[in-house]
Amino acid sequence: MKEQPHRLKWHLLFVITIFAMAAGIYSASQTINYNWQWHRVLPYIVDTSPVDIIARSDGSASLNNNSLTIVYDNGDPDRVISNADTILVSDGDIIFAGDLLARQESVRMGVLIHGLLTTLEISIISLVFSLIIGLISALMRISTNPFSKNLSLLYVEIIRGTPLLVQIFIVYFFLGTVFDLERFTAGVVALSVFTGAYVAEIIRSGIQSISPGQMEAARSLGMTYPKAMAYVILPQAFKRTLPPMASQLINLIKDSSLVSVISITDLTKAGREVVSGSFATFEVWFTVAALYLVLTSTLSWAIQRIEKRLASND
Amino acid sequence: MTKPYTGNDMVVATEIDKIYSNHCHALKKVTTTIKRGEVVVIIGPSGSGKSTFLRTLNQLETITDGSIMIDGVNMYDDSTNINKLRENVGMVFQSFNLFPHLTVKENVMLAPLKVSKLSKSEVDTAAKDLLKRVGLSEKVDVYPAHLSGGQQQRVAIARALAMKPDMMLFDEPTSALDPEMVGEVLDVMKSLAAEGMTMIVVTHEMGFANEVADRVLFMEDGSLLVDDIPENIFGEVANHPRLQKFLSNIL
Repeated sequence: MKEQPHRLKWHLLFVITIFAMAAGIYSASQTINYNWQWHRVLPYIVDTSPVDIIARSDGSASLNNNSLTIVYDNGDPDRVISNADTILVSDGDIIFAGDLLARQESVRMGVLIHGLLTTLEISIISLVFSLIIGLISALMRISTNPFSKNLSLLYVEIIRGTPLLVQIFIVYFFLGTVFDLERFTAGVVALSVFTGAYVAEIIRSGIQSISPGQMEAARSLGMTYPKAMAYVILPQAFKRTLPPMASQLINLIKDSSLVSVISITDLTKAGREVVSGSFATFEVWFTVAALYLVLTSTLSWAIQRIEKRLASND
Repeated sequence: MTKPYTGNDMVVATEIDKIYSNHCHALKKVTTTIKRGEVVVIIGPSGSGKSTFLRTLNQLETITDGSIMIDGVNMYDDSTNINKLRENVGMVFQSFNLFPHLTVKENVMLAPLKVSKLSKSEVDTAAKDLLKRVGLSEKVDVYPAHLSGGQQQRVAIARALAMKPDMMLFDEPTSALDPEMVGEVLDVMKSLAAEGMTMIVVTHEMGFANEVADRVLFMEDGSLLVDDIPENIFGEVANHPRLQKFLSNIL
């Protein structure tokens, strides 16, 4: 193939286009007099607000060398506060329950990062389960036994034919009530079962793309069907299914945003909460999108690495 | 379990019939006996059922009727473990069917490790010996994709031999090879025959059949038409009109 001429020019055009689009978004927001306040988002990512230290019950304070000691009247063990940044009582003060004693500087994860971690957690757990469910139902689907074949077919058809949002509601309100599931568990169940159906189809087509000669060669050596599957067919199928699997798993991370409807504080729900607290609607949603992008591009990078490693033997 | 069998018959096929689900009648009452240490070559036009017959001998194809005894064991007895039986019957395919995700040595080692459950060091030494025997000592850690067709087929033979089979089936082992690579594979097969291995070979290599075979079977249209020594098959007086026609077409 001939190398594209004027490569530099085209790169330049790309950069200019991106800037033009950014400028377009900015000027569009100007026409509605939107006041961009990115600094408002920051506290929801890194929370630097000081932590209040509150008195638990009545007592008296004594202060020496920046170390505050509270002696409680009710006989509780003395409380020594030595690492406070601002002390708000003086030596000999009488303390009542609920009094603000001191403040401590701290750097904590903001609400959005908590949401991000929840999204990550729910995605990883669902990923593992969806791979297990997908593998089992793919193997059932290619079996010659009508029972397991039909069961798998039915599962895939039902799940692929109904919206994930509806499935989440059914799992949460129906299964969740019947089996007394936590909302987080319900979210994981819905996502795993949903993604599992797609994973099953991906694995099935991967297995069926392997030439039948491979199974014959393995069986002719005396390997049982499960052994031939495990050592010969699946390792090859795994490699072929990586590209479609990558996009399905990226979908899983994105689909996990729907569990916010059952009040799981994932990244999307956290975004909604932050919007109502900060009124920085545009900034928050752009930030949320960027955080999702961090997750998905990390996953896609990791899968590309595996693909490159496996490509070395052909 | 297999009862100790000391008889001389490696394969006893009795009136085997194979009808595919699309009603194609692939084998019609094929009956033959193959003795231990015999080299039998099966020839015939394509679609004559010779590959199908070969594949029934390790049950890659099931039969519709008749019976097959391998090394004294009835293949279709309920008590017969087909995987055990297959360990004893090596097979080499037209399209090699090496495992592309494993190196040459791993290809040879896989079945002894996972089926026979032998120790890794033992299997490793045996694999190296086998690969040396087929002339591929330098290719031990190479992936199959980097080998020529002839080399791949020799690895496939080593892989089948790794299970120490009593009988080897060859399904057109040289048909997918470039002409200049046919010789190296046939040489390996000749040395195997010289060592006394029971071999059943489906091939179009008449030279090989003439030189190595103890018996040649000619099949056409699912039937076994001629079963004779190569001298009578390739000699001046081939006594069967359809065999004559087949040979005159390909020679």
